[in-house]
Amino acid sequence: MKIGSAADLEAVRQAGMQKLRPGKPRIAVGLATCGIAVGGNRVYERLREIIERDGLDIVLTKTGCIGYCKEEPLVNISIPNKPLVILHKVTEADVEEIVKQVSRGKVPADKALCRVPSWDHVTGCTLEYGKGFSKIPLYEKVPFFKAQKKVILRDAGLINPEDIDEYIAVGGYAAALKALTGMDPETIIKEVENSGLRGRGGAGFPTGQKWRITRDAKADKKYILCNADEGDPGAYMNRNEMESDPHMLIEGMIIGAFAMGAAKGFIFIRAEYPLAIKRLKLAIGQAREYGLLGSNIFGTGFSFDIGIATGAGAFVCGESTALVASIEGRTGRPHPRPPRLTDIGGGLFGYPTDLNNVETWCNVPVIMANGSDWYSRIGAEGNTGTKVFSLVGKVDRVGLVEVPLGTTLHTIVSDIGNGGANNKKVKAVQTGGPSGGCIPLRLFETTVDYESLNRVGSIMGSGGIVVMDEDTDMVDIARYFINFATGESCGKCVPCREGLKHALLLLNRIMAKKGTKKDIETLALLSDTIVATSLCGLGQTAPNPVLTTLAYFREEYDALVKP
Amino acid sequence: MTRKEASSTGGAKKQVTVTINGKKYPADEGEILLGVAVREKIAIPHLCYEPSLDPYGACRLCMVEVIKDGKREMTTSCTLRAAEGLEVVTDTPAIVKYRNVLFELYLAEAPKSEVIKEMAARYGVTKTRFLKKLDTTDSLGNKCVLCGLCVRACNEIMGAGAIGFVNRGPYTVVNTPYFEPTKDCFGCGACAKVCPTKAVEFEDRGSERVMTSWSGTKVPLARCDCCGGYYAPKALAISTLAHITPSLREEIAALCPVCRGRRIARDEILAGRGGGAGSHG
Repeated sequence: MKIGSAADLEAVRQAGMQKLRPGKPRIAVGLATCGIAVGGNRVYERLREIIERDGLDIVLTKTGCIGYCKEEPLVNISIPNKPLVILHKVTEADVEEIVKQVSRGKVPADKALCRVPSWDHVTGCTLEYGKGFSKIPLYEKVPFFKAQKKVILRDAGLINPEDIDEYIAVGGYAAALKALTGMDPETIIKEVENSGLRGRGGAGFPTGQKWRITRDAKADKKYILCNADEGDPGAYMNRNEMESDPHMLIEGMIIGAFAMGAAKGFIFIRAEYPLAIKRLKLAIGQAREYGLLGSNIFGTGFSFDIGIATGAGAFVCGESTALVASIEGRTGRPHPRPPRLTDIGGGLFGYPTDLNNVETWCNVPVIMANGSDWYSRIGAEGNTGTKVFSLVGKVDRVGLVEVPLGTTLHTIVSDIGNGGANNKKVKAVQTGGPSGGCIPLRLFETTVDYESLNRVGSIMGSGGIVVMDEDTDMVDIARYFINFATGESCGKCVPCREGLKHALLLLNRIMAKKGTKKDIETLALLSDTIVATSLCGLGQTAPNPVLTTLAYFREEYDALVKP
Repeated sequence: MTRKEASSTGGAKKQVTVTINGKKYPADEGEILLGVAVREKIAIPHLCYEPSLDPYGACRLCMVEVIKDGKREMTTSCTLRAAEGLEVVTDTPAIVKYRNVLFELYLAEAPKSEVIKEMAARYGVTKTRFLKKLDTTDSLGNKCVLCGLCVRACNEIMGAGAIGFVNRGPYTVVNTPYFEPTKDCFGCGACAKVCPTKAVEFEDRGSERVMTSWSGTKVPLARCDCCGGYYAPKALAISTLAHITPSLREEIAALCPVCRGRRIARDEILAGRGGGAGSHG
């Protein structure tokens, strides 16, 4: 069936709602990679066995991850007219009891994390689940969720990511319908510009402006790309976005393609994300079946399709020019810009090309559905919207955290993350992956936005926040990241290829207590040189972990060297 | 549309004036600034620049500072294109500081390269603080700086693709696929010709040219019918002959340049023309 009109979309929406609220109990197991890693699949299989064995009238399905990784495996239970209940730390041993309770219209209270009486799916649907279970804490009262604002992760962990109908049920593809049938490209780009959305890959370039440059480029063909080559150690926001809600990415790309005049888009995704690749392929197939991808979308005459290009394990392919080289089948080595991707001759196969991060694309349907005014009220001046962070390392509550930009590090690490794991004191955080820097505790009032993080020597990056506690050796942290960057350097330019290697050798010497004060000076000068002279962003930012630890934790270096 | 087409300006080149170190120079619009500097004999060190190839920007030695709206930005002059009013300065304190570190990195990377030693010494760098890379098995004699010119000449100019980069990051080397002799090599020697550090080596041994740097790849040589000497890689001789007119092809086929010269002279004398210069242009 093809969705050609608002009426068609409404029909699918109602069918999807039947799946989300089937009029009987529905159990959904959180099966993103994180849930599977801690046994989610086994819980799912056990549930299936018991429901089949007892011939129970219970719907069993999968869902993505709501972000509270520490508490996984997570299982959602929705019983008609009752709040949705999220169970945590569910094991196979709990399954028998869960099914018993659910078949009686109850939930095992001791396994319940929280209840959700109603959920705002942001793009036009607030799902009212029901009342009851008053002894189970409300979702908003759970400390991990309290300070969060879910805009990107609006559906994650609630809908089945492998079923397009459920995405449509909660308002999905309505934004694409609105944009393609009710707005012209100029209006769409204006809306994205007015929203203040900036690139979520880390550089923070205004998305609307990039779209306009691509639209204005004079060429008979254009491409749009999605950068899903997420590879920062400790960062997995994009993975969850694609695994839990792949259609929001596809919908964002459809709108972008229409606005920029592209007939073909590619998602460049790292091969290390097999589940995300599988779900994206499934989602693209379903969207094609409904005519949401392909020719003449919504009967507008506009045609667009998406292909998937997988990486081959090189971190540097997240750099725009290396990414394009990789899709074209060449070695993933950056080349100097200009020409930029948006320039004629600079993009994919030489055509003007727009490249946006996964999360940037995921913002687009929200902006179209709710308007730029609504969107720009979230976050801070010049840093609008929310951002998903992966809060990992030596923090108590590990997970994916979505907060408005402008939230302080303190709120994220202490209020949401509950400080250090095992009651240890937090010493610093590392933001932005290998390109980022280490920020000490005394600067935790720093707000998380593009400019403030730059001021303290770090970057927003794609959104990894790695927490370090009192036991963490900061020189070792610097060495870890330099080791990572050395291994991922493409080897084209000398400061990155040779400079990082020698920085690593110097750090090894210092760590082995064989270094001198002079080695620290050489390390600092070498780091500055790599920043100033490297060809691409990888080298230009790779020494940041060294430079920030030298600035904030110099005493730890000094303690390791001979005078 | 190819990258090359897009990067060239096409049609009649507009003349612009660029300023280097306060002095004005004429240039074609879009011309590579390093090319202008080379023409005007302004010393900017460089290793990976070759006018017949696209800008590459790997050696990072040709850094200049662009002055625009009172602000200065450091960039490589081999990727910078001439435009009206472009103003750059060379050898600023920041450039000297960083370039000296780069020279130290090169001295450590290619400790056997005399070219690098001389170049670094010209800029006052004679020692390196970094650990020297000495690998006795290196087929490029610890002279390679991975500027990529040989790979690009082989791929982009010769269209052979016999050599390429192997591995990644600090483990990168240039060689044939799987370090095995390759049939893709014509033996043209363009790699050795463009190598700025004279790292690429080959030698002619009897009927073969041995590419000693490239996993011992052997290329058969063409033999002169007249003197019996070997004079050029066979594959190259055949492909070159294919490009010239049939009558000339017959005439020069199978003769080395010396014997061909002799034959021309003899024919000229027999024809009574005295073998004057230019008759066989």
